[in-house]
Amino acid sequence: MRNDVHAAFREVGKRFGAVEVLRDVTFEIARGEVHALIGENGAGKSTLMKMLAGYHEPTTGHVEVDGQPVTLRSSRDAEALGVVLIHQEFNLAEDLTVAQNVFLGHEPGRGLVDDAEMVRRTREALALVDVRLDPRTRVRDLSVPQKQLVEIAKALSRRARLLVMDEPTASLTLSETRTLLDLIRRLRGEGVTVLYVSHKLEEVKAVADRVTVLRDGRLVTTRAAQDLSPHEMANLMVGRELTDMFPGKAEPGSEVALSVRDLDVPGFAGGVNFDVRRGEVLGFAGLVGAGRTEAFEGLLGLRRRSVGRVERDGRPVRIRSAGDAARHGVVYLSEDRKGKGLLVDMPLRPNLTLMTLERYARPLLDPRAEQRALERAAKEYGVRTGRLDVPASALSGGNQQKLVLGRILEVDPRVVILDEPTRGVDVGAKRDIYHLVHRLAAGGRAVVVISSEMPELLGLCHRILVMREGRVVGELSGDGLTEQDVIRLATGLTREEGASHVHTHH
Amino acid sequence: MKHITYTLLVSMALGVSGALAQGKQVIGVSIPSADHGWTGGVVYHANEAKKALEKQYPNATIIVKTAKDATEQANQIQDLYTVNKINTLVILPYESAPLTAPVANLKKQGVYTVVVDRGLTDASAQDAYVAGDNPGFGKVAAQYMGKEMGGKGNVVILRGIPTVIDNQRVDAFEAALKAQYPGVKVLDKKFGNWNRDDAFKVMQDYLTRFPKIDAVWASDDDMAVGVLRAIQQAKRTDVKLVLGGAGMKEMIKRVMDGNDKLIRANVTYPPSMIADAMKLAVAARVAGKAMPKSTIIPSVLVTKSNASKFYYPNSPF
Amino acid sequence: MSTPTTDPTATPRTARSVLARVGSLGPLLGLIAVALLATALNPDFASFANVSNVLTRAAFIGIIAVGATFVIISGGIDLSVGSLAALTAGTVILIMNALAPSLGSGVPTVMVGMLVALVVGALAGLAHGTLITRGRIEPFIVTLGTLGIFRAVLTYLSQGGSITLDLKLSDTYSPVYYGSVLGIPVPILVFVAVALLGGLVLNRTRYGRYVQAIGSNEQVARYAAIDVTRVKILTYVVQGVCVALATILYVPRLGSASPSTGLLWELEAIAAVIIGGTALRGGAGRVWGTVVGAVLLVTIENMLNLTNIISVYLNAAVQGVVIILVAFFQRGRR
Repeated sequence: MRNDVHAAFREVGKRFGAVEVLRDVTFEIARGEVHALIGENGAGKSTLMKMLAGYHEPTTGHVEVDGQPVTLRSSRDAEALGVVLIHQEFNLAEDLTVAQNVFLGHEPGRGLVDDAEMVRRTREALALVDVRLDPRTRVRDLSVPQKQLVEIAKALSRRARLLVMDEPTASLTLSETRTLLDLIRRLRGEGVTVLYVSHKLEEVKAVADRVTVLRDGRLVTTRAAQDLSPHEMANLMVGRELTDMFPGKAEPGSEVALSVRDLDVPGFAGGVNFDVRRGEVLGFAGLVGAGRTEAFEGLLGLRRRSVGRVERDGRPVRIRSAGDAARHGVVYLSEDRKGKGLLVDMPLRPNLTLMTLERYARPLLDPRAEQRALERAAKEYGVRTGRLDVPASALSGGNQQKLVLGRILEVDPRVVILDEPTRGVDVGAKRDIYHLVHRLAAGGRAVVVISSEMPELLGLCHRILVMREGRVVGELSGDGLTEQDVIRLATGLTREEGASHVHTHH
Repeated sequence: MKHITYTLLVSMALGVSGALAQGKQVIGVSIPSADHGWTGGVVYHANEAKKALEKQYPNATIIVKTAKDATEQANQIQDLYTVNKINTLVILPYESAPLTAPVANLKKQGVYTVVVDRGLTDASAQDAYVAGDNPGFGKVAAQYMGKEMGGKGNVVILRGIPTVIDNQRVDAFEAALKAQYPGVKVLDKKFGNWNRDDAFKVMQDYLTRFPKIDAVWASDDDMAVGVLRAIQQAKRTDVKLVLGGAGMKEMIKRVMDGNDKLIRANVTYPPSMIADAMKLAVAARVAGKAMPKSTIIPSVLVTKSNASKFYYPNSPF
Repeated sequence: MSTPTTDPTATPRTARSVLARVGSLGPLLGLIAVALLATALNPDFASFANVSNVLTRAAFIGIIAVGATFVIISGGIDLSVGSLAALTAGTVILIMNALAPSLGSGVPTVMVGMLVALVVGALAGLAHGTLITRGRIEPFIVTLGTLGIFRAVLTYLSQGGSITLDLKLSDTYSPVYYGSVLGIPVPILVFVAVALLGGLVLNRTRYGRYVQAIGSNEQVARYAAIDVTRVKILTYVVQGVCVALATILYVPRLGSASPSTGLLWELEAIAAVIIGGTALRGGAGRVWGTVVGAVLLVTIENMLNLTNIISVYLNAAVQGVVIILVAFFQRGRR
């Protein structure tokens, strides 16, 4: 146990108006450790880390850095003390170059900016995070993990000694995540302290030295990571035993609900064929960029595509738009909740009824009937919020997702396609969504789940199709599936013969 | 400065016909495009004059170009010089200041420049200047109104757009009233932007505000249309006289017919001044003489007795 | 990212939401303030005749602005409304004049004229909507283009002068502007009807909801099975029809159309919409606010005409100050 304290929260509390989001939180972050901060959405993680980074000031108590109580009025104050927050949605100017971003607000040179110096020092900073990149590249042209590394390089170039990382792996693939975790370990070796905020408990287990758990704005515990399993972490976060994350799988029916042949989405996916039966949960696995999302957007006519044959309940149908699909009982939940799913600025009611307005038009819309539908749906899908007259942006990720799910399920579809249904959703809401998927299948609907989370696919699906580079490369079914089976197919590594439940498509 | 009457001017221009042709003359005419009634009249008269003059002087080619703003006009006269090889330019500038340098440039290249209506800021850039009489426009109006009102009563003024032209007219109007008819009181003067709709609104509000208005100087025939409608709507009978200006054909017609109790006269500021300028320029150039440095086309009072001389039924204005 | 369950800044019902509510009434309070000031400066302001003058004038811009509210909420813009009004007015007058010899100068000719106006407006809207959606051209560009085209065609038709309605037709037609029902001028009645209908359509129909959804996030609307193309095209058609209605009221006022007809109406209409509290970026808006905005703009002008306290050169400045003040009191709502 190190006893050199780098930063500490002392009886910290925070109120926003009448709402208390943090109360009496005390814990220490040791110098040179990776300290994970976990908790459900709304537990106060975000507020806490923003206090350390100078975005919020505590209402009660205080924050200490290097043993001194500090008042951080802005992120600049925090930066001066070597504390930098790396935002989940990066804080980079897309149209500037990497070098310009790294030195934004700290440009070298008097009067005129010394470009050569900037590029040279950026190259040094990029070397620290082990990335080979031309500092003159525009940020827009970088991949997501590259942007992340640029953010870290930017922080280090400003002599950050304490990095606060907010969900750093939220949009990274498995191997990218591994690279990032390695980097974090290396930085720790060089004496950098990391406060690591994440939902992904396996990662926390893998990288953190100690874990602090928050629940409902209060501190639950701070413990050594080696003493906790991911399962125990989840239990601490929700405050109860999470035994049944995944309900059992009911036996699927035999009738094919949706059959797709020769689906081509130019540039993304080709020759995609699949059937999904009533009562079946069909998984689509693959790496980010394997073309799963694009294939289904193409199926729904949301992208340019060609398709050989689509049958619903054995009858050929033409689907050229999301409207056609809905009329044929096929609905799709986008992976991009904020961009394509939720009207964040609008209240909950119009968000819920967007696809079923004809039901409330007589002929003028009846807001009271809509309100009743919202109240019913909030119960049915477990949307937990104090008030129902807030904009959708006020909901937590999990509740937002349930609301959007509610919208597509209000259509009473026969085929439900869920793209990353639990992205950015906390453990409790995840469990709710898994149970909802189970109920949908048990009720005779066909469900397609596209997911990058292996446990989710393995826990939910009767059958899993694996896509790689736009093609379906294999099908896995039966009990006893392992993540390794899926990853082998998804990454294209050769597979030892013998696993009888694995069928490779050619 | 030389004052001549309109009719004299026209006959003089036509009188030179048949003079010795001094080689080929290419005359460029650059005018604003028809964006309101008066400029519509300018375009009409320019094209009519082109037809007449080309018939009269077989050696003369006349090119009429319209521009929708000062920048376009500046480019246009450059093109007239380089592409069409003009040796005479007749221009009614969109605005004086931005076109002074381009016109001066052409003059330097040897083009004979005749500027119409809006004088350039540097008078040396123009070989000749032909213009309407803005102070006269206001003065003639004031004298007529003062006389018709019997030297007393209330008048409201609708001004045009804040410009030098407008200031000259209004200042002269007020000065003439003060000097000759001090009993006539100007209640207010607001901008109607030489626009029917705006004039309608301003007049409506005048009528709300002033219980007794004897006469309205609408100062422009477009504005007079709006003024008349507003009076009609308010059913006010105190207004006995509305004087427009510029000689729109519908208004001239009313004066000529003499049926409208309110519209009994008009004051010219004729868009045909472009035609006069063209005629003077062609005649002078063909004869190889210089034009008078400055020609002012006076604003004339139009009444029933002389209205038919100012009536152009085919002009859009 | 872990967001608190409820947005802390939105929750307290007390002081903040009262302020927000006052803010959302900004345009109305502004109008009341201007009206009180005007009455103090010139008691004639509050006279029935003057108020009805003001409201009648506001009707043109107001009706157009109701259409603009839909376009702006859907995330679009229509810059061509003033030119379209001029072109429609000119077309209608020419057609009525042409019909008069055969159809007579009575009500049938005027009815045909009105119908033509509505068709012209709707077709222009259809063209805008189609170019914007199927042609995938920015609405700003499409309508900037037609702004020039419409006015140029009118200028061509009028040969730079004005197109004037036959005197007899003018007599038949004039009650549409100058007439009144129960003492209330016809244009005001039409304005009220359009505003009520607009409010109803925006807030209580599927179409209105779709317009808001599209303006809030077009992608979300598309993914939610809304026929975005159709809804957007319809929005521009609504705008065109509103322009046509305003023109139908406008033509009998002066009985003429000229190249200066409807000049800058687009800016006034957009200003009315924004003053009324509709977001220029789309998504959220309200029709009653637009109505208040339109009346406010006209009232300021009227007040300045009725008094002499400020130099006429500064008229536009006074309007500018009031617009900015109203926007200032609303800013908290973003």
